[in-house]
Amino acid sequence: MKQLNIIYSFFVVLLLFVLVYLYVRLGDFELQAKKNIESVIIKNTSYFIENVEKNIKQHVKSNLYKSLKSNPQLRKELETNMGMLITPSFKYIYVLYRDSAGKYRYLLDGSKEEKGLFDMKFDIDTQAWDSVYLSKEKKIVTQDDVSSIWITTLYPIVYDGEVQGVIALDFSTSLFQYISKVLSPLKDIFLYVFVATFSLLVVILYQMFLQLKTKRESITDPLTKAYNRVYLRDLVEKINLYNYDVAMLDLDHFKKVNDNFGHDMGDYVLVNFVKLLQKSIRSKDIIIRFGGEEFLLFLYKEKKKESQATEVMQRVLKTVSQYNFVYENSSLQITCSAGLVKEAFKYNSVQQVIKKADERLYSAKSRGRNRIVESDISACVDRLSLGAVKQALDEERLLCHFQPIFTLSTKKIAKYEALVRLRGEGEKLYYPNQFLDTIEGTNVYRDLTKNVLEIVFEKIAEHQIAMSMNLNLSDIIDNSIYEMLIKELEASKSLAQFLTIELLEYESLANDILLDRIVAIKSYGVKIALDDFGSGYSNFSIFENLPIDIIKIDGSLVKNIDNSKTSYIIVESIARLAKRLGLVVIAEFVHSKAVLDVLEELDVRCGQGFYLGKPDILMPTGQ
Amino acid sequence: MAKYGVSVLKFFILLFIFTISLFASEQSAEKRVYASILKALFPEKTIVKVWSDKSEKGALFSKLDGVRVVAQKKDADILMIFGPEDIENCDKMIFANGYLVFRRSKGKAIGGFYWQKGRANLTFIKKNLEKEGIRLPKSLEKYVEDVE
Repeated sequence: MKQLNIIYSFFVVLLLFVLVYLYVRLGDFELQAKKNIESVIIKNTSYFIENVEKNIKQHVKSNLYKSLKSNPQLRKELETNMGMLITPSFKYIYVLYRDSAGKYRYLLDGSKEEKGLFDMKFDIDTQAWDSVYLSKEKKIVTQDDVSSIWITTLYPIVYDGEVQGVIALDFSTSLFQYISKVLSPLKDIFLYVFVATFSLLVVILYQMFLQLKTKRESITDPLTKAYNRVYLRDLVEKINLYNYDVAMLDLDHFKKVNDNFGHDMGDYVLVNFVKLLQKSIRSKDIIIRFGGEEFLLFLYKEKKKESQATEVMQRVLKTVSQYNFVYENSSLQITCSAGLVKEAFKYNSVQQVIKKADERLYSAKSRGRNRIVESDISACVDRLSLGAVKQALDEERLLCHFQPIFTLSTKKIAKYEALVRLRGEGEKLYYPNQFLDTIEGTNVYRDLTKNVLEIVFEKIAEHQIAMSMNLNLSDIIDNSIYEMLIKELEASKSLAQFLTIELLEYESLANDILLDRIVAIKSYGVKIALDDFGSGYSNFSIFENLPIDIIKIDGSLVKNIDNSKTSYIIVESIARLAKRLGLVVIAEFVHSKAVLDVLEELDVRCGQGFYLGKPDILMPTGQ
Repeated sequence: MAKYGVSVLKFFILLFIFTISLFASEQSAEKRVYASILKALFPEKTIVKVWSDKSEKGALFSKLDGVRVVAQKKDADILMIFGPEDIENCDKMIFANGYLVFRRSKGKAIGGFYWQKGRANLTFIKKNLEKEGIRLPKSLEKYVEDVE
């Protein structure tokens, strides 16, 4: 469609040039034709006038005025001769002289109409006539102020170097009209070409206008006039993430606006919120209504220049919070929260960036609203950058520590949990909270997961013992990670039965795709565990929706079980629930003998913690 | 059909423009001339009463500032003659309009205004001006003639 518009535009411009060219050429042609005809006529005129002068001079040898005044018969004869030149084109021919007062008076008049009498005053353009008297030269005067006359030729009658009269020949406008008539067919052709071309032009322009209008409407939210998701879909295809930071914005407590003031007020707030956004951002920034009261901002960033996204977002939040929304006698103030992602180019896709911005938006909400969150963890943590993690992977500085998980009844190691670490450029070890957030959603994250899986399978093969590793539930949803996982399982089919995948962040996700994928993973003999169960938003319906084998009770419940009645009751309930569901229970954070004793009393199957065994780089070989 | 329509439209537009411009230019020139003439002939009068033998021209005079067109000759300050009006026994000031009228009435008329060869011509007759005791402003003196 875009290319079609360019072609249309090219033709439109071409047509315009053709029209202008034709117009100019025809104008030139008309002018030239008129000039040519004029010159021919003037040439003929000169011939006639010279004959008139010759005729007068044949009869009057000197003193023109006196000779003519004293001889009316001569005047009549000369006027008759002059009158023979009168045609529809040569309208008037006459001879005037200038009297002592500077007035022009008739000497002779060969005209058939409106004949002037001898010595009668005639009001003419004295300036032109005076110049003929002065120069003694022939003169052509275009009569713009005389309606029925086109041009007048003035010719001096000179006796002894003195002008004693001026012959005037007036051309009627009929000659001019004749010239126009000659040119008329050409003008008509031009007119038809012009009308046809112009009509075509109008049709094309109208079509382009309709296309643009339809396109504009399809990509614009009808309420706020911001771009909509259709536009986002196109934008995702072509945007260069090196040029943009991305922010997700949401109006705080907007539902209350609708509930308390009605939807009209809600709409009014949304419309004016977008206007405030437009005022606060820069011309190259893009606003998209992502959903209800959620807006995406693509904040332009010039290459090699410092990002101004934070300043822009701060301006947005300040402007919105200071604005008083007044609608039908109701007024309210509202704030907004934002999640900001800088260096968006580090992410795999725009979708990943939007997801990250959304997560940070919710982080901003949970931290009290009316704020911008642009990082995932506290700044005081010594974090590794994406590049540093990638370099560590390239230089094979990834390793796993293994923490034993014991069967409490036998005190034997049932399996190990693989815990990922990165070795710094020195010997310093980096833990997951120092780099996982940074690489989440990137290819580096997928590569890291792949490396961990390879290490785990290597250790399983080496020791023929069960191992578990952590994955986010969202990793299973992610196509690239899931495909990699299946590929690795396929490659180590015989070892897959020793693998347990511990799922994190499972509370908000459960759908058919996920279920299918977990079933597919389990088909290799892999066991599925829910990590950190009992904290956060643990949802019991997960047991209904997903085929779970193991529950790992969150350490925060286990660590106080020996002196907190509440923790005791919760753990007891979870253990009983798991038993009824036929699931294996593992208690984390077993840090003392007292805790271990209580877990044994509650018949918890397995335990893991510093009291039983710390994570270590070396694989233990015995109990 | 479209071709015919365009041609007809073009013809009428050109005709309209030509007629309007021609008529407008002559009319506005006439108005200016008549306004000057009446002001010069009756410098003291705030309202000059004009009678004309041509009703269409009456409309033109009525548009001039300080001019009222009257129906009876006896009520008029000046008679504007355009046709073969009998002026022999008339004691009112007469102004001739048109070349032939001017030539015919030069014994009685104070002056004449006419179009000759497409040019506006104005002439005041000296002896008739003196008879009426009228002294023209300097700007119009060049139009005063000894007409026999």
